[in-house]
Amino acid sequence: MRSETTVQSGGLHRILYVEDDADIREIVRMSLEMVGRYTVAACESCADALQVVDDFRPDLLLLDVMMPDMDGPSTLRKLRRRDSAVDAPAVFITAKVQAGDMAQYKQLGAFDVIVKPFDPMALPERIGQIWQSYREGEYGDAG
Amino acid sequence: MATPDELVAKELARLSADFIARLPEQLRRVEDEVTAWLDAPRDRGRYEVLAHRVHQLKGSGSTFGCPGISRAARMLEQRMGDLRREIDAGQRPAITDVESAMAQLQNEGRRAQTRLRRQEGGK
Repeated sequence: MRSETTVQSGGLHRILYVEDDADIREIVRMSLEMVGRYTVAACESCADALQVVDDFRPDLLLLDVMMPDMDGPSTLRKLRRRDSAVDAPAVFITAKVQAGDMAQYKQLGAFDVIVKPFDPMALPERIGQIWQSYREGEYGDAG
Repeated sequence: MATPDELVAKELARLSADFIARLPEQLRRVEDEVTAWLDAPRDRGRYEVLAHRVHQLKGSGSTFGCPGISRAARMLEQRMGDLRREIDAGQRPAITDVESAMAQLQNEGRRAQTRLRRQEGGK
């Protein structure tokens, strides 16, 4: 499920990723680990994520929005109850972006949103940019 | 020795070929579910299962080299949503829009299959 890697973006080491589509989950995990050099816990469901989150202690949560049993926003609410994920910024991945959706996702707790379909090869760079924005907002620096 | 980018690109190509190879079965299942839902359009549970499957196709099509699948799935998703709203509003639902969107999705599936066969034939 995870592998030890070096760090790309300052302070961002571990990404907890929840996605029910096995193919998408696999290519995103590979890209984040091999190109982005992040450590990734790739989970297929909220239940799976809740099992690993305390040991994994993620720096960032990457959550698919539309999942069959528990959707991304509900998964985020559950993860937020754990000390290990209480303040990690959350990024939603979704193919459903209509007028007003972005604002709604942010109201539901997303720091940012990545729209499907996306280029898996470009995803690590996008995640790095999101992390930098988070750091700048949180600490007034990019490092 | 392959770079990380090359390894990921190779895996993406493998997953894309798998995705296209599985499309006929996936689309047959979607079509069966569309037919079953249109027979009982007030069945909300059936709609939710179908909507999730179509939504997945919309999200994964372009990622795995099939933008036409994403576009057709988006259209089917919209038409299904329109139909559901008509039903909720007590109107007589126009099912032909959903049927034509499904047919378009099948066309895109056949196109992707043809493209895959050409690529494999060219190797």
